[in-house]
This record gives sequence, C-alpha cells and structure tokens, in this order.
Amino acid sequence: MSAPGRRQPNWRRRITVSVVALALAFVVLAPLTSLDAAQQAGLPLLTDKLWFRLATTVAMFVVLASGWNIIGGLTGYASFGNVAFFGLGAYTVGVLVANRGWPFPLALLAAPLVAAVFALIVGLPLLRLRGHYFAVATLGVGVAVGEVVNNIGPLGASTGLFLPIVRSDIAFFYLMLGAAVLAVVTTWIILRTRFGYGLLAIRENEEAAAVIGVNTTFYKVAAFCVAAALTGLAGGIFAQWNSFINQENVFAISDNVQMILMAVVGGAGTVLGPVAGAIALELIIQTLAGGGSGAVYSQIGLGVLLAACVIFIPRGVIDFFGGRSRLSLRYFRQTLRETSV
Amino acid sequence: MTLLAVNDVSKRFGGVNALAGVSFGVDEGDVLGIIGPNGAGKTTLLNCISGLYRPDGGDIRWEAASISGMAPYRIARLGIGRTFQIVRPFPSMTVRENTATGALFGRPHGRLQPAAALAEADEVLGLVGLGEKRDYPVLRLTVPDRKRLEVARALAMRPRLLLLDEVMAGLNDVEVEQALQMIRRVRDRGVTIVLIEHVMKVIVGICNRALVLNFGRTLVEGPPSEVLKDKRVIEAYLGRRYAQDQQPPPRSHPEGAGT
Repeated sequence: MSAPGRRQPNWRRRITVSVVALALAFVVLAPLTSLDAAQQAGLPLLTDKLWFRLATTVAMFVVLASGWNIIGGLTGYASFGNVAFFGLGAYTVGVLVANRGWPFPLALLAAPLVAAVFALIVGLPLLRLRGHYFAVATLGVGVAVGEVVNNIGPLGASTGLFLPIVRSDIAFFYLMLGAAVLAVVTTWIILRTRFGYGLLAIRENEEAAAVIGVNTTFYKVAAFCVAAALTGLAGGIFAQWNSFINQENVFAISDNVQMILMAVVGGAGTVLGPVAGAIALELIIQTLAGGGSGAVYSQIGLGVLLAACVIFIPRGVIDFFGGRSRLSLRYFRQTLRETSV
Repeated sequence: MTLLAVNDVSKRFGGVNALAGVSFGVDEGDVLGIIGPNGAGKTTLLNCISGLYRPDGGDIRWEAASISGMAPYRIARLGIGRTFQIVRPFPSMTVRENTATGALFGRPHGRLQPAAALAEADEVLGLVGLGEKRDYPVLRLTVPDRKRLEVARALAMRPRLLLLDEVMAGLNDVEVEQALQMIRRVRDRGVTIVLIEHVMKVIVGICNRALVLNFGRTLVEGPPSEVLKDKRVIEAYLGRRYAQDQQPPPRSHPEGAGT
C-alpha cells in the first residue's frame, strides 16, 4: 500500500532522516533537562512550562488525528463524533478518580474500554450509513453525548468535574507521547495486516469488498472501536493533566474538526500524515493565536490553509513531499527534468 | 451434481418486478450463459445470488443448503465469486494487491496472510494475462485489462462457481477472443461458470447451456444454438414482426441487439 522504493538520491534521503531523527531526539530528551538531577549536574534547561504545554498538546492531537485516520482515513467513514470518545474517556477518568477515589493509572485503563464499548453500541447502527449521512449522524452523537453529560448531576452537570491536581509536566508529556507512539504503531500494524487490506477495500468499494468475502460490518465496527479506544485514552490522560473537565473542554466539536483537518492536511490514510498534520497545524494555531486580536486571524488563516490544501494537495502534505502521485513535488521535479532539454 | 439451485426467485423494486419467479439449476462443470434484453433482470439475478440483494420470494440453494438472504461475505466464502459489469477495482492498490484481496478474504478454509495472498495473486494474474502489469496502479489499466483484473480478483478466491457479469461488453473482436480463451482456461481448472453476455459469439462459443430472461421470467432454457433459434427469443430481442418476417433468422443479428 505504501509507495515502495522511492528513488531519492542517497545523500538527500540521509539528510532528511537525520534531521527528523534529531528533531525527534530533542523532543523526547529535552524534558529530561528539567529533572532536578540534570539541573544539579549543570545541564541547560531546554524546556519551560509553555514548552511542555505545547508539546503535550501536539502529542494529544497526534493521537486524535491518528485515531480519526483509522475510521476516516483508512475505512473512509468521516466521523464527526470522535470527540464523544475523547469526552467519554475524560469523564471515565474524571468520575473514577474524583468521585470514586480510584488511582489514576487504573482509571486510565478504563477510559479506552468505555470509549470502545460506546463505539460498538453506536457503530452498529451508524456504520450502515454512508457519506454525508454518516457524518451528520456522528455529529449528532458528538453533540448529544456532551449535552447528556452536561445534565447529569453526579457528573458535575454544567459545573464540570475537578480532579486532584497532579503537578508533573514531564510525566504527562511522556504519557501523551506514549499514547501518540501507540496510535502511530497501531496504524502501521493495521496497514500491514489482513485487517488493513479489508478496511482499504471497504473505503474504496464496499460492495466489491463484501462479495470477495470481507465481513464489512465487523471490520467497520472494529475500526471504529480501535479509533475510539485511542481517542478515549487521550481523553483520559487529558482529564488528569488538565485536572478540570466540563462539556466545553472535552466535548468541543471544534476539536473534532481540528483532528479531521490535521489528518486530511497531513495525509489521510497514511501512517505519518496525521502526525505531520497534527504537528504543523497545532504549531500554526498556537503561533497565530498568539495575542488578543490575533485569534480572529488564526481562524481565517486556518480556513485559507485548509482550502489551499484540499485544492492543491488533496492527498495531504505527506504525499506532496514523498508520494508518487501527479500532485507530488517529486513528480513535478521529475517532469521538469524530463521536459527540459 | 447440482451446485446451485435457483427456485422461483422474485425481486421487486417499488412497482417493478425485476425478477418474477426465475428457476434454474447449475451443475458442477457447467458453463451457463444468461442472455436477455436490457432490463430483463440479469444483473438483479446475480445480485440475489451473491447476496447483495435479498430476494422477495423463492429460494436459492447452494449444495442443497439455502443461501437466500445470507450476508454477501458468507456467500463469497462458500465459494461463489463474482465480477461486476461496471468494474469495481480498489483504486489505491496495485493490480497485484487488488488481486490479493480476493485470496485474503474469499477463501472458505484457512486464512492467508498478506505475503501468501500476494504470491497467490501472481499465479492468478498469469492465468488472466496480467502478469506483466502486476505492479501497475489500477488507474493505468485499459478497459479490457480492468475487466481481466475483475476476473482475477474473483479467481483468487478459488471459487467453485464464478458469476461473470458482461466481461465482454466494450471489448473489440480481438479482445473478445482473448477473453474467451481466458474463460476457457478458467473452466478447464474445474470452475463452474455462470455468465451474463450480450455477445452471442461467446454464448455459442463456450456455454453448454443458455438461459433467456425476459421481463424477470425465464423465457427459454437449453443448448445455446437451439435457444438462439427459438422464435420467442427473437421476438424478445427484435420484436414480433421481425420474427415473423425472418425465419430462420441470420445468426449475427441478435449480436447487436443488446448493446
């Protein structure tokens, strides 16, 4: 499924790989300089509160975009209700920790389970719908779950839930990073198995998939559940990290739109597309939203960016730089070489 | 031995009786040709057999067990493969990967992993004459090649019965001849075949039996050469007046009628 044997010159490939590896190493190792031991040893402090906040948010959106990618990108069912899984994961941890006094790690295990079970229940009827109908129905689910939660007393109703504060930027960063790695690895594994072939077949022609023996209902629901579990996990981590959850911060439809944008801009249906999309878009959003009136422009800028991406690189940034399609940079350079005398 | 028995099957779409009680049997080793004017219900019949439609009445039996209303994927795994008249490849996959999906999912027994399925695909692609183009993206294939791919994907399931929906439509004479040879090779592997076709050369050239559908009913059934001479068949295709004027009919005429 992935483009085999890209024939980039060796040195250029090596440089790309080294740059990416260095950047990754910095992101993964930089937080360690904030440890007391490192400070006593005289290492320079490479991170601050803002850095942690941004890096953890980026990692969270890598999980969300990758999760959406499994149902939206691989299976072709554009879900606008994934934020419900995020919120359910968050509220699972919230209720278990704040109301029941469970330890956070144990509560966190329950979050993906609750989200996946919910996906199973709503997925069975909703995944019979296709295209816009599925999108609208899932949007309804996303909004409805948030409203229901907002009106249940034990869940804090409109006030929200307060969790005991855990002050450890570094722990939450690594936790979210771990979830992001899990999401990427899950996608990678799916694309290399029978399951992945089945999902792609469903995306590209569901009836053809059915008559060659793909159990389409099972595959779609399974993909929905995997997406939900990953999204719910991110929600669970977010709840404890933020230590306050309410309808507005965990059931925001704008978050759902954002994860879709990230997956689509980066390259839906690929392993690394959602990662690239999440990093790029989150950094852009944070930069544009920098100060006061800038927030308005950030929305406009984002809209323009999305429109440009959908028109000029519909297969996403990943495809643009490395892909084989006619819209990729490589193809453009190649044709330029071939046509120039 | 009867492999597939279609018994008084009917299917309605609103007020239209697409199938109004069709019955026939397919024996192991048969090559059954289904012909009929446009709108006679041929594709609807195939959709009922492969499970995409649930028949409104009647019964479809596979080796004596009823399969009507069964999910398409389960019917596929029983050993019934099919192609679509308007080809339905998976566009993001290569020719080889497309074919491999058939081997991955359509096998009745035992699961293949992707590597084994890809190896299997290579063998099938050789059979249908796409071996050299196995790494092509589907979008680079010509129409005849896409039809071959459609057959290859179904064959990779190792079906016992293959339903072919107009694999010859849109092909020129040379391509029809190649496709005929391909179907013969498939038949010689012991696959039973039911094919819908408007090209009469194919019906006469390869089928041992032919079935004529008209307005959702079986009009005539029998050996192809006799069926094509039948007055009712000529009436259905070319009109009653033509049938009265021309007895016996020139054999080449019905060929153009359906296209």
